Amino acid sequence: MSLSDLLAMLPILILAFGATAILMAGAWYREPLPLLAGGIVTALLGALSAGLVTPPVPEIAGLFSAGGYARFYTILWSLLAAAGLMTGSRYIIEKRIGAGEYVSLVLYAAAGMALLSSATHLVGLFIALETFTLAFYILIASNRNCALAAEAGLKYLLLGAVATGFMAFGIALIYAASGSLVLPDAVMRLKAETGELQAWGLLGWGMILIAVGFKISLAPFHLWTPDVYQGAPAPVTGLLATGSKGAVVAALVGLLAMSGPVWNDLTDLVWLLAALTMLAGAFGALGQSNLKRLLAYSSVTHMGTLLVGVLCQTSEGFAATTFYVVVYVVTSLGAFAVIASLADGRGEPMTFDQWRGLGYRHPVRCGVLVLLLLSLAGLPATAGFMAKFAVFHAALQSGYIGLLMIGILASVISFAFYLRVTMLLFQPDEKASSWHQGSVFEHTVLAVCSSAVLVLGLFPGLLFGLIRQILP
Amino acid sequence: MTTVLFYILGFIMLTATLLCITRRNPVHAVIYLVAGFFALALMFYLLGAPLAAAWQIIVYAGAIMVLFLFIIMMLGLAPQETPEGPGWRRWGPLVLLSASLMVCTVLLIMQDPAAGKEIGDFYLAPQAVGESLFGRYVLAVEMVSFQLLFATIGAYLLGRPLSKGEGQ
Repeated sequence: MSLSDLLAMLPILILAFGATAILMAGAWYREPLPLLAGGIVTALLGALSAGLVTPPVPEIAGLFSAGGYARFYTILWSLLAAAGLMTGSRYIIEKRIGAGEYVSLVLYAAAGMALLSSATHLVGLFIALETFTLAFYILIASNRNCALAAEAGLKYLLLGAVATGFMAFGIALIYAASGSLVLPDAVMRLKAETGELQAWGLLGWGMILIAVGFKISLAPFHLWTPDVYQGAPAPVTGLLATGSKGAVVAALVGLLAMSGPVWNDLTDLVWLLAALTMLAGAFGALGQSNLKRLLAYSSVTHMGTLLVGVLCQTSEGFAATTFYVVVYVVTSLGAFAVIASLADGRGEPMTFDQWRGLGYRHPVRCGVLVLLLLSLAGLPATAGFMAKFAVFHAALQSGYIGLLMIGILASVISFAFYLRVTMLLFQPDEKASSWHQGSVFEHTVLAVCSSAVLVLGLFPGLLFGLIRQILP
Repeated sequence: MTTVLFYILGFIMLTATLLCITRRNPVHAVIYLVAGFFALALMFYLLGAPLAAAWQIIVYAGAIMVLFLFIIMMLGLAPQETPEGPGWRRWGPLVLLSASLMVCTVLLIMQDPAAGKEIGDFYLAPQAVGESLFGRYVLAVEMVSFQLLFATIGAYLLGRPLSKGEGQ
């Protein structure tokens, strides 16, 4: 570690030490608003420093990259932390959650996600993954008066521990087979002289895929998702659905983009996982009557689609996947922010009975929700359409016609349940009750998310150009 | 010799952990887990990593398992009534495992009385571990220390008594 290493990881240092400082301040000073403001400023500073400070070295201590790809995701996760704190503000104040602890955990999780997206060493990858997972274990269960939240926290903890076990075992096997922990060497050396993966390397990859499957909820490892999303408070679910999954996908894309086509022996397996995930998510969502559970299944479908882009292993596939991650993060965060902004003393509106007719009570926010849901479904002119189109185009070019068909089928099915919610919102219902009016913070997040969805949908070239430049 | 010891230790480890997850009495399960940890420590030693072996015994078999036992006792999870059947059924397997562990330890000591580098082809000196941890991997160590800090905060946040009006 030298001074230039420290300068290169300035955004991470800002997030991590900002988190610690707010934690310390929170020990003496219990007023939530200044702590929250401090957290939001810290997150924005982190994003700003990642964007403006050019790192003097390409790699930090041999563990993390400081390249454009890493900085891109550092900015994204820092902004996500700021948005997450803004959506969580009313939750912390009204439920009297310890503000210092909550804010510092969110910042700390963002630092972990940023590090995971930039890992160039298997040890760094493992520790960064554990870093933000640990923060989520706590955040999910942070409302201790809610039995569902405790259940969700415990479920996430247990499955997270199982996933960690698989991850560690997979890394150990890859190390045993290749003799290196440095990426991309560790995976490139797994190839035997015949060009195929060595048996131990293949097993190691399989274990890592299982761990990734648990983390980003690929079928058949997705069963925890609806329960955890339902139990966790909506501001935390928003972070969990976007950041924790996006960072893992980002790490996977970074790893594969660096190491070339190392997945050739795994293609069939990943193909099957992607197809199963898209269909399981789409069919699972059809029978739901709870918006948070529905969004959970929708996120499962989206992870399947993302895996299609990763599977292509072409630069176009990686660019499409990165674009998809950004779009998914913005859209999904916005959808959970709408739920969070409506929450009041009765809790969050979740069941379809509570949502029926809400479009007439809260037209603006329900309109935003409809826009975000249509973007999740992939309606043209929204960002979701461009993202899906890019991924499917990459799949077509790589020759995955069958997977493309399954993806389109899943998209068509998902239109059914997204439209069902849309219709429900604007059904005339005299009994529909008013929910909370929402705070300035929440409305800001919704404005940013909905305008980002429109801008990315109408001018996708802006982001695509940037992504093509930074891909490793 | 080392290969034979490796397989014996592997067998002990698998048996102990298998017994651990099939026991109904949590105290018995913990004891079997301790036996498994001891076998793992000897295996680390056999592979040429004496420091990892010492950590395994001090941290896992010692500190963490004692904590487990403490929690089990404190929560009163241990069954009160003694089960039917002769007593050796309960302590027999453990005595066997421990005796074989003891034999393995004695064999290892006879093989390598000075705890030098004669066993195996590879020897990782504790000094090298320290240099690597606080040189090459110092960032990883710092990240783990941050994790411990936040784990403490999590335990405090979730474990402290409910304050007035919280979560309403």
